[in-house]
Amino acid sequence: MDTMRVVIAEDAALLREGLTRLLEERGHEVCAAVSDAGALLAAVAEHKPDVAVVDIRMPPTHTDEGLRAALRLRQDHSGTGVLVFSQYIETRYAARLLAGNAAGVGYLLKERVADVADFVAALTRVADGGTALDPEVVSQLFRASRHADGLATLTRRERDVLGLMAEGRSNAGISAALVISGGAVEKHVASIFGKLGLPPSEGDNRRVLAVLRYLGG
Amino acid sequence: MSGTAPGDFASPHGPAPGADAPVTLAERVLLAPFTPRARREGLYCLVSVPLGIAGCWAVAWVLGPSLLVSASVLGTVVGLLGVVVALRLARRLGALYRWVAARMLGEQITAPPPFRRAAGSIIVRLDARLRDGAGWRAIGYTLLKLPLAVGQYLALAFWACGLADMSYPVWWPLFRSPSPGATLSAVSAATPPPFGSFVHATSWAGSLLVAIFGAALLLIAPWLTRGVVTADRWLARSLLSAGTLTQRVRDLEQARARVVDDSVALLRQVERDLHDGAQVRLAAMAMNLGMAKEKLGADGQPPDVRRARELVDAAHLGAKEALVELRELVRGIHPPVLEVGLAEALATLAAGSAIPVQVRAELPVRPTPAIETIAYFCAAELLANATKHSGANKVDISAEIIDCERTSLLRLLVCDDGTGGADPAGGSGLAGLERRVGTVDGRLSVSSPAGGPTQITIELPMKA
Repeated sequence: MDTMRVVIAEDAALLREGLTRLLEERGHEVCAAVSDAGALLAAVAEHKPDVAVVDIRMPPTHTDEGLRAALRLRQDHSGTGVLVFSQYIETRYAARLLAGNAAGVGYLLKERVADVADFVAALTRVADGGTALDPEVVSQLFRASRHADGLATLTRRERDVLGLMAEGRSNAGISAALVISGGAVEKHVASIFGKLGLPPSEGDNRRVLAVLRYLGG
Repeated sequence: MSGTAPGDFASPHGPAPGADAPVTLAERVLLAPFTPRARREGLYCLVSVPLGIAGCWAVAWVLGPSLLVSASVLGTVVGLLGVVVALRLARRLGALYRWVAARMLGEQITAPPPFRRAAGSIIVRLDARLRDGAGWRAIGYTLLKLPLAVGQYLALAFWACGLADMSYPVWWPLFRSPSPGATLSAVSAATPPPFGSFVHATSWAGSLLVAIFGAALLLIAPWLTRGVVTADRWLARSLLSAGTLTQRVRDLEQARARVVDDSVALLRQVERDLHDGAQVRLAAMAMNLGMAKEKLGADGQPPDVRRARELVDAAHLGAKEALVELRELVRGIHPPVLEVGLAEALATLAAGSAIPVQVRAELPVRPTPAIETIAYFCAAELLANATKHSGANKVDISAEIIDCERTSLLRLLVCDDGTGGADPAGGSGLAGLERRVGTVDGRLSVSSPAGGPTQITIELPMKA
């Protein structure tokens, strides 16, 4: 996607303006930058953007109104990707966001914005209907997984590939991140699916779901 | 708790120090009127009788009519307010009685914790006032003080009559020298109530009989005094003290709940401050630096130096702001200067104030860190209040150690010359301070008439 149309919901003005500028400098269109959940829902209904960046803690209660708004968006505006953006990671929030469908959803720590290119790539992936899970979510899933035995059978490189798959990256993304060839990635993926007994799945989204279900189960 | 000083002959712990032989019963009886204890208790009665009668009279006059009025349909509120007045009066009197007992008898009675105002509607506050157990017990004591005062009055009468009767033989020859042939009318011996006079003298020899009667009265007087004073001590201990264990436990449970709530609230506040402050600034800073890195490119000539400079400037500013915020947050959690001492911390606080502050701190002994911290934050909050709300031109802060009923207290006074009208019940920060002070059994009192000046006194124990 060359030019994304984005709605930003973030109550800290500093970040709201910074993000707007960051995206605009890269040629994306920020349709609206708002500071609470109500305004977010209205802006998405009005602009039908490709993707919405949503802070979890916003006024008035500063708890999880951003998350609830994100779930509403997932339900009511399936054409709009939702990137939930937060200063801390709650695995349960991730589970609620994914809830059977990994298409067009992301959950990232705010600090990921420091690596601008990665951040924009993740946002683009979500806008295109893909998935972007924070490495922190994935490592928490690894730690909490009840399939420690299955995971122990993986080589170190295979674990890296599994983590990147769980983040929602495509084979091309994985090969770029690990600096290995596309063929090598395919070989690792096939090996991982074989060792963990996962059914081979078509498409990145179904693959993400399969991996997450395995890690979370 | 024992009021018996060493050296008393009647000490329950045996003979007086220095006595070679055990004191015989006869010696104890004969010497009883001359012991320091007899003197102390006699003097106590002398003070206690007028105080007791006056106190009982005052409380009865407020309480009686109030109860009568409150029983009527229309007067309930007025009557109950009267009862509240009686409760407060009795608490004050109780403090006075405790002080007298401590000074004159050496009877140390732990004061009940000060009444804690309930927050809420007038009904809630009235209800809390009426449930003031310590106040009701103080009323009980002030009322029972009347029969006690009567008993103490009788004991005093024994002393007075005994002394008077002993003097008969001395003045008899001076005033009653019989002229020859005259018959003198009989003179009655002074006799304490409720007895009528039954010893009379018509001659000097007769006056000796009166003197013996007086001596007998003086021998009885200390024991009678001891009896009524012991009853008084017992009542004071049961009714004027901090109260039953149950009451104390309930107070402590409430205090503990407040401490836990406050610490959780404090942690939440710190989390919120970090989340909304420094964390946002650092994230924005990282973003700016990330963008700047891109503008500078991987190597060679930077594609957009001007924009990169702008972004680095913004990040630099953000870093400085984050540092300031973190410093203030850290100071809000625990000011490092408190390690040096409360006096230093108060001086630092004053130096950072927007209006002139004069600090006078005389603290020869350091309270525990928890107490110093509470005192510091109270001073900081009160100073902030004075700056923000009172329109004061100057503030005086004083901290000193005072002696109160044989314990030391840290007393913090914050006075401003502003417009006054500060009210702990007004939902201000004062109520929060009162809660915080209350968790360590301290007390906060406010004098802030409309028009000023405002004086806030905080008394804290030396250790939590």
